[in-house]
Amino acid sequence: MTALRSWEGLLFAVLILIYAVNAWNSPVFLTVGNQINMFQLSVEKIIVALVMTFVIINGEIDLSIASVMGLAACAFGWMVQQGAPAGGAVAIALAIGFLCGAFNALFIVGFGIPSLVVTLATMIAFRGFARVLVEDRGISDFPDWFDALGQKGLIGPVPLAMVLFAVFAVLAYLILQRTAFGRKVYFIGANRAVAEFSGLEVRAVKARIFIASGVISALAGLLFAARVGAVRGDIANGFELDVITMVLLGGVSIFGGTGTMSGTILAILIVLALRNGMALENITGHIQTGVLGILLILSVMVPIIRETGTRLIARVR
Amino acid sequence: MKHLTVSTLALCAALFGAQANAQAVTADPGGKADMVLLPKFLGILPFDQANRGAEEAHAELGNTGTLLYTGPTPENSVAGQIEILTTAGSQGQAVVMLSNNAGDQIAPAAEAAQAAGTKVVTWDSPIPSGAGETVFVAQVDFGSIGVVMADMAYSIMGGEGEFAVLSATPDAANQNAWIAAMEEALKGEKYANMKLVDTVYGDDQSEVSYNRALALVDSYPNLKLIMSPTTVGIQASAKAMQDEGLCDKVKVSGLGLPAEMVSYTLNGCAPEFALWSFVDLGYLTYYTSYLLATGKITGAVGETFTAGRMGDYTIEEDPGRPGAKRILMGPFTVYDKDNVEAEAK
Repeated sequence: MTALRSWEGLLFAVLILIYAVNAWNSPVFLTVGNQINMFQLSVEKIIVALVMTFVIINGEIDLSIASVMGLAACAFGWMVQQGAPAGGAVAIALAIGFLCGAFNALFIVGFGIPSLVVTLATMIAFRGFARVLVEDRGISDFPDWFDALGQKGLIGPVPLAMVLFAVFAVLAYLILQRTAFGRKVYFIGANRAVAEFSGLEVRAVKARIFIASGVISALAGLLFAARVGAVRGDIANGFELDVITMVLLGGVSIFGGTGTMSGTILAILIVLALRNGMALENITGHIQTGVLGILLILSVMVPIIRETGTRLIARVR
Repeated sequence: MKHLTVSTLALCAALFGAQANAQAVTADPGGKADMVLLPKFLGILPFDQANRGAEEAHAELGNTGTLLYTGPTPENSVAGQIEILTTAGSQGQAVVMLSNNAGDQIAPAAEAAQAAGTKVVTWDSPIPSGAGETVFVAQVDFGSIGVVMADMAYSIMGGEGEFAVLSATPDAANQNAWIAAMEEALKGEKYANMKLVDTVYGDDQSEVSYNRALALVDSYPNLKLIMSPTTVGIQASAKAMQDEGLCDKVKVSGLGLPAEMVSYTLNGCAPEFALWSFVDLGYLTYYTSYLLATGKITGAVGETFTAGRMGDYTIEEDPGRPGAKRILMGPFTVYDKDNVEAEAK
């Protein structure tokens, strides 16, 4: 009962319920192949959701992630098309992600402009560069080893991107919940002014988070390119909203300061299982989107209702 | 244009004549094959019409399996198509009938579906590389669409002046092929005084296309025609010209649905446009898929089959995509004020 009182406990119960219903509805749901497909279809988003958890707990937002994914993927595709070795192109694409993150950080931390504004602008700008680079036509024909990384199993049937997600999830959990850096992320997110007066290196923490967001997004863009074996200007377009939805559903407050990595990971599993279950039941895209929207509203409402309820009970007593 | 249609017909007749000897395969009704009709996205009339054709064939053949019509939302088209195709493989669907909007990005998912035993038959828009695709049911020969568009432009513009193309998405394989074919046709001496000044993209969304059409008029003061090889683009362009009172100056043509274009054709905003029947395309695609699923054909070049009321068809090499195979439906109709009303009902 106490476990249910925490947000994570509630999410866990919901997750079990969704898995049970899906398994009941479709004999395919629990097969290894389908479970891998379920993760693979969204693996780039869920990797970025891990770093987005840091961003939002820190009291900021990064809307440019999907455009960084697109820019890195298109830059990679363009370089390969020009005859560059794919290995070098991967490195340069990751460096571009670093620069994108640093650019965001420069304006947010350096000039003190709100991250909502800065990353809205770079969301448009980075996407524009991506479209210019590949001139809106698809590029494919990457080296076989690159496509294989996205499409073939690395450990047994489990592909590279899923292995990376598992490793990153553990790392993200440890950094956020078990290190001094993680505690600073919370403290700054809860009250920036107090954090600054306490002598915390607020700017350095924020800059690091935005740079990490850029690099991880670029990596996710490359993983996407490998999975689909092609890039074009609109690659990963609109992914930022799905990523932010997962993080908020995980109980991370949009105002910063609260939320946990395990909450985000549970929310990721819920969204994936729910989408996959609906797809196996042949429910169309419009309804799927609607269900996820309702889920997000509930996830924001439930804590508020609970808080009000607790307060009322306290008053009665 | 008449000449072209006649020659296309003659070509088809010649092909079909040759096939008569090759013994067309006919379908055995009453088989069981679960099929998915996967459009680019939901909520567009031609795709619903294709579904109507597929449903007609489904009932006619007495398929005891299911026919599922499902698609992604427009904003999520690429990722959504990949997801639905992947899930269809997991579900063990016999065939996915795909109007591809994801370019080559869908090829790995199509190959995975094939490996899982799900055939992928494309229609309306193929997988550019042909990878993972069993066969493509082509509406009309891509080269002939180019000539028909060039000829409609010629007749509307009186053979001279500036015109522009308003297409769908920049990576839509079919639109790109048709525009390329039209540019090829325009090299002919007959079209020497016509100038294609720009190609813009309305993303197959009404509002975007509407604004792009108006932007074209602003950018090119001498523009005489907007040629839009997409049903969304042509309607939005015609509406934009009508709303702004520009129909006397700038005409609209391209590929459109009679039901959506009838008022613009009658009021002179879009005097001529062309199209094939999406109902027939869905019907033929379903027949092809059913024959593949029931093992009557394998998808090899040279196989001939009877597609119910539409007659005999043969699988051939796709001239536009080396290594890929197609079934050519063709021909198509040019609509003007004399015949549009009858089709628009």
